Amino acid sequence: MPRDGGLAATVVASRTARRAIRSGAAWGAVFAVYIASSAYTYTSSYPTPAARAKLATSLAGNAGLAALFGPAHRLGTVAGFTAWRSMAFLTIVGAIWAMLLATRLTRGEEDEGRWELLLSGLTTRGRAAIQAVAGIGLGIGCVWGVTALFTILTGSSSKVDFSVGGSVFLATALVAGAAMFGAVGLVTAQLAATRRQANGIGAAILGGAYLVRVAADTGTGLAWLRWATPLGWAENLRPLSGSHPLALAPIGGLIAVLVIVAVLVAARRDLGGSVIQPRDAPAARTRLLTGPTGLSARLTLTVGAGWVAGLAVLGLVLGLVAQSASSAISGSATIEKAIARLGGHRGGADTYLGISFLIAAALVAFAAAGQITSTRNEESAGHVDHLLVRPVARWRWLSGRLLIAGALVVAASVATGVAGWVGAATQHSDVGLGSLVQAGLNIAPPALFVLGVGCLLYGVWPRFAPGATYGLVAWSLVIELVGSVAKSNHVLLDTSVLSHITPAPAANPNWVAALWLVGLGAIAAAAGTAAFVRRDLASA
Amino acid sequence: MATAIRAERLSKSYGHTPALVSLDLEVAEDEVIGYLGPNGAGKTTTLRLLLGLLRASAGRAEIFGIDCQRDPVAAHARLAYVPGEANLWPSLTGEETLHLLGRVQGHVDAPYRDALIDRFELDPGKRVRAYSKGNRQKLILIAALMTRADLLLLDEPTSGLDPLMEEAFRQCIREASERGQTVFLSSHILSEVEALCDRVAILRAGRLVEVGTLADMRHLSALSIQAEFDGSPPDLSKVPGVKLLDVEGNRVRCQVTGSVEPLLSALAAAGTRRLISREPSLEELFLAHYGSENAAPETPDAA
Repeated sequence: MPRDGGLAATVVASRTARRAIRSGAAWGAVFAVYIASSAYTYTSSYPTPAARAKLATSLAGNAGLAALFGPAHRLGTVAGFTAWRSMAFLTIVGAIWAMLLATRLTRGEEDEGRWELLLSGLTTRGRAAIQAVAGIGLGIGCVWGVTALFTILTGSSSKVDFSVGGSVFLATALVAGAAMFGAVGLVTAQLAATRRQANGIGAAILGGAYLVRVAADTGTGLAWLRWATPLGWAENLRPLSGSHPLALAPIGGLIAVLVIVAVLVAARRDLGGSVIQPRDAPAARTRLLTGPTGLSARLTLTVGAGWVAGLAVLGLVLGLVAQSASSAISGSATIEKAIARLGGHRGGADTYLGISFLIAAALVAFAAAGQITSTRNEESAGHVDHLLVRPVARWRWLSGRLLIAGALVVAASVATGVAGWVGAATQHSDVGLGSLVQAGLNIAPPALFVLGVGCLLYGVWPRFAPGATYGLVAWSLVIELVGSVAKSNHVLLDTSVLSHITPAPAANPNWVAALWLVGLGAIAAAAGTAAFVRRDLASA
Repeated sequence: MATAIRAERLSKSYGHTPALVSLDLEVAEDEVIGYLGPNGAGKTTTLRLLLGLLRASAGRAEIFGIDCQRDPVAAHARLAYVPGEANLWPSLTGEETLHLLGRVQGHVDAPYRDALIDRFELDPGKRVRAYSKGNRQKLILIAALMTRADLLLLDEPTSGLDPLMEEAFRQCIREASERGQTVFLSSHILSEVEALCDRVAILRAGRLVEVGTLADMRHLSALSIQAEFDGSPPDLSKVPGVKLLDVEGNRVRCQVTGSVEPLLSALAAAGTRRLISREPSLEELFLAHYGSENAAPETPDAA
């Protein structure tokens, strides 16, 4: 315990800030790459005013796209397209990130008993909460700073040409979602009894806000609803396409109110306590608890259901918009070239689904990396000791754990495909169930490969395995985003696990390549298991 | 008598830092042995090596003749382990935890399990997350004891237990011992070891410095002397065998190893009013090994 009062007084702030800034810088970089790739995709795919005008008319008349991704303004300009494309995606990504970060650094830390130590020192619960808010705020500020800086750099190119003020305002608008839902996370972390519950409530609020936003943007006279949802306020900022800074007022107000509520609740409740009383004495459910693999299944059930449901929703949305979106992208020479590079040849809804399923493939691969993280956490928290000091061989525990993770990956992949078919069928798209189930299965092999490589890292290098596995997936995603516009360098593209699958259903799945991915993953997993059997168990 | 644990030159080092240096130790079946040492002496390292959770850098260890490093699963079938920190799955309830760990172990004495739940006054219906530290420790103790394993490996098993539960634990260990189970009790609670153990092994900085029965160790070790004098006490620091000398007014405390003759004659010459001598407690034995590095750097030699 530090003796120095000043040090003790800011220890929560500095701990929180360090982790928030590290994460914020990484996500700022993702934002920056996404914005730059949007701008360059546009300038290279639609180089002439005629091409731009055609895109603008086809997208402007597309009510489905507007409902899902928000209304587009000034699509005839780089600025308008970039702002629309990045707001549609990054606002939601930022909101999820900030919410998870806020709950992790407050309720998550408390769940693990770390705040108990800190709060026995010279600080109070209320002050500790203020410090945590400050630290998380710095992390979100970091996303804003990195995004603004790189947007200015991107905008300085003569082809793109954003004003400095416009770039900064775009960064502000993109981070608004993160800031608001970070604040939501701060409050749910105070209300809920566990971090998982806090995330669940936060996800429900975000989902609700999104649905209201979708209703507002369907173009049926419900536009006023946009003022009823935080996501609508962010949309009303209209960065780079007729800025409306006035919408910052409700955004700032909401953040201020939520932060004050969070701090007040934190100061008044017991440490480890919660406003929502936890259900601590449920009826025993022992059906799965017959051995190590059954336990893994039980512990993965909630997270797994979340991934399957989330990807099913994504698949459904992609299916719903496939028909109308495909007409928007048809005619772009670059996009057709990109499809061809990925091995696709069909047109229509298939093309759109083929490209967008790559995002689903990346998400499933992230789910696989998450499974490696939780495997490592089982060990570092000392939980797995209780199995391994009993007659359970190490290989049996680990292979069972991987089996569950693999089942999760395959279930989420198939769910994406089947839900995509349901969505497409309602729009009378001519896409068959069989072909979309195959497209769903097609996104599983990269994730299974990630699982295998993650297991190898876990066996050899346990403390770094989670970070390195996430790094592999993030790297692949960046390569895919950049590769879709940059001159394709094959060696570089090949380092992405996602570039080894075809864009089904735009092309037939390449089952041979898929088998290679799965086979190599299995070999890596076997090697990792062998290493795990031979090494020391390592706690945190 | 068969051997429950045999360690031969068992060693573990992390890089260049030795955690356990060439441990040779034998524990007989149905013996209760105390394993003592300060924090960081290597007690937990020893246990984790015996469990095969850590790989030995050198040497080997057997449990009931089974190589613990080569065939940990077979060894685990004969033992039950209680770690010092009960890091159980927070989302499972006590009942679910006991069910799972029982299924994994393969055999459970169910009536005994229920008796243990009563004895330790545990409410098994709650989630582990909602248990206090003491209750988690009870849960992990019950999970180990309910298997009636031939060998109990206990690593500071009573941390967080209140005195009543500590007594219940001691009762369980006595019963286990009467049933012929072997108990390896790593602890730094000396009264617990003194109350339960037939033999004691003392570890210091990764090395075994002493093994023996408490009676032997007391016999071989220093005798505690307290003396009160009519006048000012004599200078006893030059008397052979005298250590840890502490003078307070007309009172003197010291320890003496080897023959007490020289001290007795020095005391007789100085006009001693009162004299108390007694065998050292385990605590004093322990402190004689670790106490102040400069005061007692070596184990007392038998005279």
